[in-house]
Amino acid sequence: MIDSANNGMAGFDIVRPGLIMVATGEYAIARHPEVLSTAALGSCVGITIWDPFRHVGGMAHVMMPTPSDTAVKGNVSRFASIAVPEMVERLSTGGARHRLVAKLCGGSAMFKGDSKLASIGERNVEEARHQLALLRVPVVAEDTGGSHARTIELRLDTGIVVVRSYAYGIREI
Amino acid sequence: MRPDELSALQVDALREVGSIGAGHAATALSQLVGKPVDIDVPRIELLPVSDVPHVFGGPERLVGAVHARLLGDIGGSVVFISDREALLGLVDLLRSKEPGSSKALDHDREGLAVHTATILISAYLAAVARMADLNLLPSQPSFAFDMMGAILEVVTAEVGLKVDVALLVLTRFKVEDETTDAALFFLPDPDSLEIILGRLGIV
Repeated sequence: MIDSANNGMAGFDIVRPGLIMVATGEYAIARHPEVLSTAALGSCVGITIWDPFRHVGGMAHVMMPTPSDTAVKGNVSRFASIAVPEMVERLSTGGARHRLVAKLCGGSAMFKGDSKLASIGERNVEEARHQLALLRVPVVAEDTGGSHARTIELRLDTGIVVVRSYAYGIREI
Repeated sequence: MRPDELSALQVDALREVGSIGAGHAATALSQLVGKPVDIDVPRIELLPVSDVPHVFGGPERLVGAVHARLLGDIGGSVVFISDREALLGLVDLLRSKEPGSSKALDHDREGLAVHTATILISAYLAAVARMADLNLLPSQPSFAFDMMGAILEVVTAEVGLKVDVALLVLTRFKVEDETTDAALFFLPDPDSLEIILGRLGIV
Protein backbone atom coordinates (compact mmCIF):
# COMPACT_ATOMS: atom_id res chain seq x y z
CA MET A 1 0.00 0.00 0.00
CA ILE A 2 2.75 2.40 0.87
CA ASP A 3 5.88 2.82 -1.14
CA SER A 4 8.72 2.90 1.32
CA ALA A 5 11.42 2.25 -1.22
CA ASN A 6 14.23 4.73 -1.75
CA ASN A 7 15.56 4.68 1.76
CA GLY A 8 18.73 3.26 3.15
CA MET A 9 17.36 1.18 5.99
CA ALA A 10 17.68 -2.54 5.48
CA GLY A 11 14.48 -4.50 5.50
CA PHE A 12 12.22 -1.53 4.95
CA ASP A 13 11.82 -1.67 1.23
CA ILE A 14 10.45 -5.17 1.22
CA VAL A 15 6.70 -5.26 0.89
CA ARG A 16 5.65 -8.04 3.21
CA PRO A 17 2.34 -9.82 2.95
CA GLY A 18 0.12 -9.26 5.96
CA LEU A 19 1.84 -6.01 6.84
CA ILE A 20 -0.71 -3.28 7.40
CA MET A 21 0.68 0.25 7.17
CA VAL A 22 -1.09 2.83 9.29
CA ALA A 23 -1.01 6.28 7.66
CA THR A 24 -0.31 9.48 9.53
CA GLY A 25 -3.41 10.61 11.39
CA GLU A 26 -5.19 7.29 11.09
CA TYR A 27 -5.61 4.04 13.00
CA ALA A 28 -6.14 0.39 12.13
CA ILE A 29 -7.21 -2.82 13.85
CA ALA A 30 -5.75 -6.20 12.87
CA ARG A 31 -5.49 -9.82 13.96
CA HIS A 32 -2.51 -12.22 14.04
CA PRO A 33 -0.81 -13.20 11.64
CA GLU A 34 -1.17 -9.67 10.32
CA VAL A 35 1.37 -7.12 11.51
CA LEU A 36 0.63 -3.45 12.10
CA SER A 37 3.23 -0.85 11.27
CA THR A 38 3.57 2.89 10.94
CA ALA A 39 6.50 4.83 9.51
CA ALA A 40 8.39 7.93 10.55
CA LEU A 41 6.93 8.98 13.88
CA GLY A 42 8.38 12.36 14.76
CA SER A 43 6.33 14.49 17.10
CA CYS A 44 3.46 12.13 16.37
CA VAL A 45 2.76 9.28 18.74
CA GLY A 46 2.23 5.67 17.79
CA ILE A 47 -0.24 4.09 20.20
CA THR A 48 -0.58 0.33 20.17
CA ILE A 49 -3.30 -1.50 22.04
CA TRP A 50 -3.16 -5.28 22.24
CA ASP A 51 -5.44 -8.05 23.43
CA PRO A 52 -3.14 -10.94 24.50
CA PHE A 53 -5.95 -13.50 24.53
CA ARG A 54 -7.33 -13.05 21.03
CA HIS A 55 -4.10 -11.76 19.45
CA VAL A 56 -5.96 -8.75 18.14
CA GLY A 57 -4.64 -5.23 18.34
CA GLY A 58 -4.81 -1.71 17.08
CA MET A 59 -2.33 0.97 16.17
CA ALA A 60 -2.87 4.71 15.85
CA HIS A 61 -0.55 7.35 14.44
CA VAL A 62 -1.83 10.53 16.10
CA MET A 63 -0.59 13.98 15.17
CA MET A 64 -2.08 16.18 17.84
CA PRO A 65 -3.48 15.89 21.36
CA THR A 66 -6.99 17.37 21.11
CA PRO A 67 -8.99 19.41 18.61
CA SER A 68 -8.89 23.17 19.19
CA ASP A 69 -12.09 25.15 19.81
CA THR A 70 -12.58 25.87 16.15
CA ALA A 71 -14.71 23.48 14.17
CA VAL A 72 -12.62 20.51 13.20
CA LYS A 73 -12.90 19.26 9.68
CA GLY A 74 -12.02 16.04 7.93
CA ASN A 75 -10.58 12.90 9.39
CA VAL A 76 -10.60 13.33 13.18
CA SER A 77 -8.58 10.24 14.12
CA ARG A 78 -5.48 12.44 13.88
CA PHE A 79 -6.26 13.54 17.45
CA ALA A 80 -5.22 11.38 20.39
CA SER A 81 -8.37 12.26 22.31
CA ILE A 82 -10.49 10.78 19.53
CA ALA A 83 -8.40 7.90 18.18
CA VAL A 84 -7.69 6.29 21.58
CA PRO A 85 -11.32 5.94 22.77
CA GLU A 86 -12.41 4.73 19.32
CA MET A 87 -9.72 2.09 19.18
CA VAL A 88 -10.40 0.87 22.72
CA GLU A 89 -14.11 0.69 21.94
CA ARG A 90 -13.51 -1.41 18.83
CA LEU A 91 -11.17 -3.77 20.68
CA SER A 92 -13.46 -4.19 23.68
CA THR A 93 -15.92 -6.66 22.22
CA GLY A 94 -16.84 -9.61 24.44
CA GLY A 95 -15.49 -8.15 27.67
CA ALA A 96 -11.97 -7.79 26.33
CA ARG A 97 -11.50 -4.30 27.80
CA HIS A 98 -9.79 -5.50 31.02
CA ARG A 99 -7.21 -7.52 29.05
CA LEU A 100 -6.04 -4.67 26.85
CA VAL A 101 -2.50 -3.35 27.26
CA ALA A 102 -1.00 -0.30 25.55
CA LYS A 103 2.44 0.80 24.45
CA LEU A 104 3.52 4.26 23.36
CA CYS A 105 6.26 5.30 20.93
CA GLY A 106 7.32 8.58 19.37
CA GLY A 107 6.54 12.06 20.63
CA SER A 108 10.03 13.35 20.03
CA ALA A 109 11.21 16.91 19.50
CA MET A 110 12.62 16.86 15.98
CA PHE A 111 13.60 20.54 15.98
CA LYS A 112 15.00 21.42 19.35
CA GLY A 113 15.55 25.08 18.54
CA ASP A 114 11.85 25.86 18.33
CA SER A 115 10.08 25.50 21.68
CA LYS A 116 6.59 25.61 20.20
CA LEU A 117 7.35 22.78 17.81
CA ALA A 118 9.35 20.90 20.40
CA SER A 119 6.43 20.71 22.80
CA ILE A 120 3.98 19.06 20.37
CA GLY A 121 5.50 15.63 20.89
CA GLU A 122 5.39 15.93 24.65
CA ARG A 123 1.78 17.06 24.61
CA ASN A 124 0.82 14.19 22.32
CA VAL A 125 2.33 11.66 24.73
CA GLU A 126 0.63 13.31 27.72
CA GLU A 127 -2.76 13.18 26.03
CA ALA A 128 -2.33 9.55 24.97
CA ARG A 129 -1.45 8.57 28.57
CA HIS A 130 -4.37 10.58 29.89
CA GLN A 131 -6.88 8.97 27.53
CA LEU A 132 -5.61 5.46 28.25
CA ALA A 133 -5.78 6.12 32.00
CA LEU A 134 -9.39 7.29 31.68
CA LEU A 135 -10.25 4.02 29.94
CA ARG A 136 -8.17 2.00 32.45
CA VAL A 137 -5.88 0.54 29.81
CA PRO A 138 -2.41 0.17 31.36
CA VAL A 139 0.63 1.51 29.49
CA VAL A 140 3.10 -1.39 29.84
CA ALA A 141 5.99 0.04 27.82
CA GLU A 142 7.11 3.31 26.29
CA ASP A 143 9.81 4.54 23.96
CA THR A 144 9.01 8.23 23.80
CA GLY A 145 10.78 11.57 23.75
CA GLY A 146 14.27 12.25 22.47
CA SER A 147 14.88 13.96 19.17
CA HIS A 148 14.84 11.11 16.67
CA ALA A 149 12.29 9.60 14.31
CA ARG A 150 10.93 6.10 14.80
CA THR A 151 9.21 3.46 12.69
CA ILE A 152 7.25 0.91 14.70
CA GLU A 153 5.73 -2.49 14.18
CA LEU A 154 3.29 -4.39 16.42
CA ARG A 155 3.58 -8.19 16.41
CA LEU A 156 0.11 -9.38 17.26
CA ASP A 157 1.09 -12.86 18.52
CA THR A 158 3.51 -11.63 21.20
CA GLY A 159 2.49 -8.00 21.65
CA ILE A 160 6.10 -6.98 21.08
CA VAL A 161 6.62 -3.58 19.48
CA VAL A 162 9.71 -3.33 17.29
CA VAL A 163 11.05 0.23 17.17
CA ARG A 164 13.47 1.18 14.39
CA SER A 165 15.37 4.42 14.17
CA TYR A 166 18.46 5.80 12.46
CA ALA A 167 19.73 6.92 15.85
CA TYR A 168 19.45 3.66 17.81
CA GLY A 169 18.85 0.89 15.29
CA ILE A 170 16.34 -1.75 16.29
CA ARG A 171 14.81 -2.00 19.74
CA GLU A 172 12.05 -4.17 21.06
CA ILE A 173 9.68 -3.07 23.78
CA MET B 1 -9.63 29.51 4.08
CA ARG B 2 -9.38 25.81 3.38
CA PRO B 3 -6.54 25.10 0.96
CA ASP B 4 -8.79 22.77 -1.04
CA GLU B 5 -11.22 25.63 -1.70
CA LEU B 6 -8.68 27.52 -3.79
CA SER B 7 -9.61 28.35 -7.36
CA ALA B 8 -7.32 27.55 -10.29
CA LEU B 9 -6.42 31.23 -10.57
CA GLN B 10 -5.47 31.37 -6.88
CA VAL B 11 -3.31 28.25 -7.19
CA ASP B 12 -1.54 29.86 -10.17
CA ALA B 13 -0.95 33.00 -8.13
CA LEU B 14 0.61 30.96 -5.32
CA ARG B 15 2.78 29.09 -7.80
CA GLU B 16 3.97 32.45 -9.13
CA VAL B 17 4.80 33.56 -5.60
CA GLY B 18 6.77 30.35 -5.12
CA SER B 19 8.48 30.84 -8.45
CA ILE B 20 9.68 34.34 -7.63
CA GLY B 21 10.86 33.27 -4.19
CA ALA B 22 12.70 30.30 -5.66
CA GLY B 23 14.32 32.47 -8.33
CA HIS B 24 15.82 34.71 -5.68
CA ALA B 25 16.91 31.77 -3.56
CA ALA B 26 18.60 30.20 -6.60
CA THR B 27 20.44 33.44 -7.33
CA ALA B 28 21.65 33.57 -3.74
CA LEU B 29 22.82 29.95 -3.91
CA SER B 30 24.53 30.56 -7.22
CA GLN B 31 26.43 33.51 -5.73
CA LEU B 32 27.46 31.41 -2.72
CA VAL B 33 28.83 28.49 -4.70
CA GLY B 34 29.97 30.47 -7.75
CA LYS B 35 28.19 28.15 -10.13
CA PRO B 36 24.92 28.27 -12.05
CA VAL B 37 21.92 26.88 -10.20
CA ASP B 38 18.85 25.48 -11.90
CA ILE B 39 15.39 25.40 -10.43
CA ASP B 40 12.27 23.53 -11.40
CA VAL B 41 8.95 25.26 -11.90
CA PRO B 42 7.54 25.12 -8.37
CA ARG B 43 4.98 22.46 -7.67
CA ILE B 44 1.91 23.18 -5.65
CA GLU B 45 0.93 20.14 -3.65
CA LEU B 46 -2.46 20.09 -2.06
CA LEU B 47 -2.47 16.98 0.06
CA PRO B 48 -4.31 15.34 2.91
CA VAL B 49 -1.99 15.66 5.91
CA SER B 50 -1.71 11.86 5.92
CA ASP B 51 0.03 11.96 2.52
CA VAL B 52 2.50 14.71 3.35
CA PRO B 53 5.25 12.32 4.56
CA HIS B 54 5.22 10.66 1.14
CA VAL B 55 6.44 13.62 -0.88
CA PHE B 56 10.15 13.89 -1.64
CA GLY B 57 11.10 10.24 -1.62
CA GLY B 58 9.07 8.52 1.07
CA PRO B 59 8.67 8.72 4.85
CA GLU B 60 11.87 6.93 5.87
CA ARG B 61 14.30 8.69 3.58
CA LEU B 62 17.23 10.07 5.59
CA VAL B 63 17.36 13.83 5.06
CA GLY B 64 18.74 16.97 6.58
CA ALA B 65 16.23 19.75 7.18
CA VAL B 66 16.39 23.36 8.22
CA HIS B 67 13.13 24.75 9.48
CA ALA B 68 12.13 28.33 10.15
CA ARG B 69 8.81 29.65 11.27
CA LEU B 70 7.23 32.54 9.36
CA LEU B 71 7.06 35.70 11.42
CA GLY B 72 5.31 38.94 10.57
CA ASP B 73 2.05 39.33 8.67
CA ILE B 74 1.59 35.64 7.95
CA GLY B 75 2.17 32.39 9.81
CA GLY B 76 3.39 28.99 8.73
CA SER B 77 6.72 27.40 8.01
CA VAL B 78 9.47 27.25 5.49
CA VAL B 79 11.69 24.17 5.33
CA PHE B 80 14.84 23.42 3.36
CA ILE B 81 15.23 19.67 2.83
CA SER B 82 18.03 17.78 1.21
CA ASP B 83 19.25 14.21 1.34
CA ARG B 84 22.53 13.39 3.05
CA GLU B 85 24.68 13.18 -0.09
CA ALA B 86 23.27 16.41 -1.50
CA LEU B 87 23.87 18.19 1.79
CA LEU B 88 27.48 17.03 1.85
CA GLY B 89 27.80 17.96 -1.83
CA LEU B 90 26.56 21.44 -1.05
CA VAL B 91 29.12 21.80 1.74
CA ASP B 92 31.86 20.68 -0.67
CA LEU B 93 30.76 23.28 -3.22
CA LEU B 94 30.85 26.00 -0.59
CA ARG B 95 34.37 25.01 0.39
CA SER B 96 35.39 24.82 -3.28
CA LYS B 97 36.14 21.14 -2.99
CA GLU B 98 35.32 18.31 -5.34
CA PRO B 99 31.73 17.16 -4.61
CA GLY B 100 31.94 13.85 -2.80
CA SER B 101 35.01 14.69 -0.72
CA SER B 102 33.05 15.21 2.50
CA LYS B 103 32.10 11.89 4.01
CA ALA B 104 30.53 12.77 7.34
CA LEU B 105 28.22 15.49 8.52
CA ASP B 106 30.21 16.84 11.45
CA HIS B 107 29.46 19.92 13.50
CA ASP B 108 31.26 22.35 11.18
CA ARG B 109 29.63 21.01 8.06
CA GLU B 110 26.25 21.00 9.73
CA GLY B 111 26.75 24.65 10.67
CA LEU B 112 27.70 25.53 7.12
CA ALA B 113 24.69 23.69 5.70
CA VAL B 114 22.33 25.41 8.14
CA HIS B 115 23.86 28.76 7.33
CA THR B 116 23.43 28.25 3.59
CA ALA B 117 19.86 27.05 4.00
CA THR B 118 19.14 30.14 6.09
CA ILE B 119 20.40 32.39 3.32
CA LEU B 120 18.22 30.58 0.78
CA ILE B 121 15.21 30.84 3.08
CA SER B 122 15.81 34.55 3.65
CA ALA B 123 16.20 35.24 -0.08
CA TYR B 124 13.02 33.31 -0.79
CA LEU B 125 11.00 35.12 1.86
CA ALA B 126 12.35 38.54 0.91
CA ALA B 127 11.08 38.02 -2.64
CA VAL B 128 7.68 36.80 -1.46
CA ALA B 129 7.43 39.74 0.95
CA ARG B 130 8.23 42.25 -1.74
CA MET B 131 5.83 40.74 -4.25
CA ALA B 132 2.87 40.47 -1.89
CA ASP B 133 3.75 43.58 0.10
CA LEU B 134 4.06 41.67 3.35
CA ASN B 135 6.16 42.09 6.43
CA LEU B 136 7.78 38.66 6.50
CA LEU B 137 10.78 37.29 8.37
CA PRO B 138 12.11 33.83 9.18
CA SER B 139 12.57 32.80 12.82
CA GLN B 140 15.83 31.40 14.15
CA PRO B 141 16.34 28.27 12.04
CA SER B 142 16.63 24.83 13.58
CA PHE B 143 18.23 21.73 12.14
CA ALA B 144 17.19 18.08 12.09
CA PHE B 145 18.76 15.07 10.42
CA ASP B 146 16.39 12.14 10.31
CA MET B 147 13.42 10.55 8.54
CA MET B 148 11.71 12.75 5.97
CA GLY B 149 8.22 11.83 7.15
CA ALA B 150 8.91 12.70 10.76
CA ILE B 151 10.29 16.10 9.83
CA LEU B 152 7.41 17.14 7.61
CA GLU B 153 4.95 15.73 10.11
CA VAL B 154 6.13 18.11 12.81
CA VAL B 155 5.78 21.04 10.47
CA THR B 156 2.27 20.12 9.33
CA ALA B 157 1.01 19.14 12.78
CA GLU B 158 -0.07 22.67 13.56
CA VAL B 159 -1.86 23.08 10.26
CA GLY B 160 -3.63 19.84 11.08
CA LEU B 161 -5.20 21.39 14.14
CA LYS B 162 -7.74 23.12 11.93
CA VAL B 163 -7.87 21.28 8.62
CA ASP B 164 -6.72 17.92 7.33
CA VAL B 165 -5.22 19.20 4.08
CA ALA B 166 -1.88 20.92 3.66
CA LEU B 167 -0.64 23.20 0.92
CA LEU B 168 3.03 22.86 -0.02
CA VAL B 169 4.85 25.05 -2.47
CA LEU B 170 7.79 22.89 -3.44
CA THR B 171 10.86 23.93 -5.42
CA ARG B 172 13.79 21.70 -6.33
CA PHE B 173 17.30 23.01 -6.86
CA LYS B 174 20.08 21.63 -9.01
CA VAL B 175 23.66 22.90 -9.03
CA GLU B 176 25.21 22.33 -12.47
CA ASP B 177 24.57 18.71 -13.41
CA GLU B 178 25.16 17.37 -9.94
CA THR B 179 22.24 15.37 -8.75
CA THR B 180 21.90 17.71 -5.81
CA ASP B 181 18.40 16.92 -4.69
CA ALA B 182 17.42 19.77 -2.45
CA ALA B 183 14.04 21.35 -2.01
CA LEU B 184 12.44 24.29 -0.34
CA PHE B 185 8.95 23.87 1.08
CA PHE B 186 6.82 26.93 1.73
CA LEU B 187 3.86 26.11 3.96
CA PRO B 188 1.68 29.12 4.78
CA ASP B 189 -1.01 28.22 7.31
CA PRO B 190 -4.66 28.29 6.11
CA ASP B 191 -5.42 31.76 7.53
CA SER B 192 -2.36 33.20 5.84
CA LEU B 193 -3.45 32.02 2.40
CA GLU B 194 -6.23 34.55 2.49
CA ILE B 195 -3.81 37.33 3.46
CA ILE B 196 -1.34 36.52 0.68
CA LEU B 197 -4.06 36.27 -1.96
CA GLY B 198 -5.73 39.43 -0.67
CA ARG B 199 -2.50 41.39 -1.00
CA LEU B 200 -2.07 40.06 -4.51
CA GLY B 201 -5.61 41.18 -5.29
CA ILE B 202 -6.85 37.68 -6.12
CA VAL B 203 -9.68 36.92 -3.72
